[in-house]
Amino acid sequence: MEAVFISSLKPFLDAVAGEMDIYVPKKSGQHFVYTRFDSSADTAAEFNNIRACTPVKEFLLPLRELAAIFPEPFDPNDIKPFAVFGLKDCDLRSIEILDKVFLEEEFRDPLYVARRQKMFIISSDCFDPGESCFCNVIDGKSFPESGFDLNVSQVKDGFIIEAGSQRGKDFIKKHDELFTDVPAASLSEHDKNRVHTQKQLEQQNADLKFDTPIKELLESGHDSEVFDVEAKSCIECQACTRVCPTCHCFYLYDTKQKDYFSKMKMWDSCMRLSYAAVAGGANPRKVLGDRLRHRLMHKFAYFLDRYGLQMCIGCGRCVDADAGGIDIRAILKKLNEEIKNKSKAKVAK
Amino acid sequence: MNQNFYQPIAGEITDIIDESSTIKSFVVVPEKEFAFKTGQFVELTLPGEGEAPFTPSSSPADTKKMEITIMKAGRVTALFHQCKKGQKVGIRGPYGNGYPIEDFVNKEVYIVGGGVGLAPIRSLFLTLVDRVKDLKCVVCRFGARTPDDFIYKKTLFGPWQKIDGVKIKLSVDKSDGKWTGNVGVVTTILSKDDVNIENAVAVVCGPPIMMKFATVKLLDFGFSAERIYLSMEKNMSCGVGKCGHCMIGKYYVCKDGPVFTYDQIKGYPNIWD
Repeated sequence: MEAVFISSLKPFLDAVAGEMDIYVPKKSGQHFVYTRFDSSADTAAEFNNIRACTPVKEFLLPLRELAAIFPEPFDPNDIKPFAVFGLKDCDLRSIEILDKVFLEEEFRDPLYVARRQKMFIISSDCFDPGESCFCNVIDGKSFPESGFDLNVSQVKDGFIIEAGSQRGKDFIKKHDELFTDVPAASLSEHDKNRVHTQKQLEQQNADLKFDTPIKELLESGHDSEVFDVEAKSCIECQACTRVCPTCHCFYLYDTKQKDYFSKMKMWDSCMRLSYAAVAGGANPRKVLGDRLRHRLMHKFAYFLDRYGLQMCIGCGRCVDADAGGIDIRAILKKLNEEIKNKSKAKVAK
Repeated sequence: MNQNFYQPIAGEITDIIDESSTIKSFVVVPEKEFAFKTGQFVELTLPGEGEAPFTPSSSPADTKKMEITIMKAGRVTALFHQCKKGQKVGIRGPYGNGYPIEDFVNKEVYIVGGGVGLAPIRSLFLTLVDRVKDLKCVVCRFGARTPDDFIYKKTLFGPWQKIDGVKIKLSVDKSDGKWTGNVGVVTTILSKDDVNIENAVAVVCGPPIMMKFATVKLLDFGFSAERIYLSMEKNMSCGVGKCGHCMIGKYYVCKDGPVFTYDQIKGYPNIWD
């Protein structure tokens, strides 16, 4: 591990802020949300023990952005470098998922590419998983192993900073005077912390075990009543898809400005009634349960078929945000029960 | 290079043809040559108002202009219907796969179309007619609600029917009193003997309900699901397989389609809705 040590966060964040805008987590109520770091402010920098409430996609696919100007084009590459601090392993895996869609060879999304290339990723270890976190069930960990420029792990006496890319290495080299070698005691503390948090996750999700891969649960249960039943409490607020770091549906709309026309790109939600409707009136998913099923099929089957990985990171944000109390874990559990009962019935025959 | 595919190129509407009470064809001249494959679609922008996907109804052989047939169905299409000659438009694309013409060589091509579904079929038809010597024959079965609802009447009722290697039969749901052809939905003029099914491919394009029943009938005739090509109409916004609206199972209709074999999509829910 190529790592260095720093006793407090502030000089480190100041150094980043000296080079580019940096967004940091800030406690708001029970959750962390991102805010632009102000070096001149005299407030202590916060280390988020858990993922922020808001998804990292906000930095790569803003809620609403300019996609095109007509008739004179604009340059989508005109984005300033920026850094985001405190992303967890789940967040990094959500970026990996978005990359599959927006960086794919045939159609690289120019708006996404511009932001992705300018983003300096400073992740950190998770020490306090939330009740809704189930990343370990979806092959995730409490600490990042790749996908970052720098990763920060908190220990009793300070912070261990590890480089995960050439940009990260260059940063450490450039600001050599800020850092010292990692004390041996801190290093072993860091290793223990990681093992401890991972165990905590495994314990809290001990009952979330499935008899088949999740894709098969969904495919086998494609006609299950569970989707209609669960959807009964859905109030169609779309919060699940808004806070989901991997949901990336958007729509394009046109507006008139004073002396030009613009095409805008804005988040959309597959849970919305008219989401898939066409002008002629046809709508493949008029029924709410069908939309819920499609959302889960997309996450665990369709995306996997297409890109080779699941479109869920187990961050639990949708569980926290859902006003109707729909819990993706409970749906998977019910599907698992159904598949078990089906195979029991087969044996009985 | 970081090319912006959300950016339309400019074009101009140079002519407008009234096809029926709810359908008009627009001749669009792009600012630069625009090549597409038959069956591919474009996103046509009415600047400041909106954008919608259309499959050009003209032959891809003409790269200087294209014809786009638009049925008044929603907000954007109604606004297009109000356009006059000289209207500036934006064009993105072409997107999607188009018809696999090479797979049709030496085969009988059985085309079933209805309503405004004749728009993509016209482009396919013109492409096939150019290569009719490479095909066994082109057999068309087209339907419309009334005789007046047929689009491309001038060519459809006359010149197209006289092309060597082409056989066309028409049907209307409701006669106007003067109609001498078949009355009934288009599936009523489909017959097992229309083509040699062993060596034929079927192409279906029209309203979802018609596509559903035509597909059922074609399967009944003995067409294999791999040889039934369907032009799927879904809500296509981005055109590049990202925004999600047009998904049928794992497929993005805008990128993997809009032309699918029935075999590709038959396992997914609600494909006809």
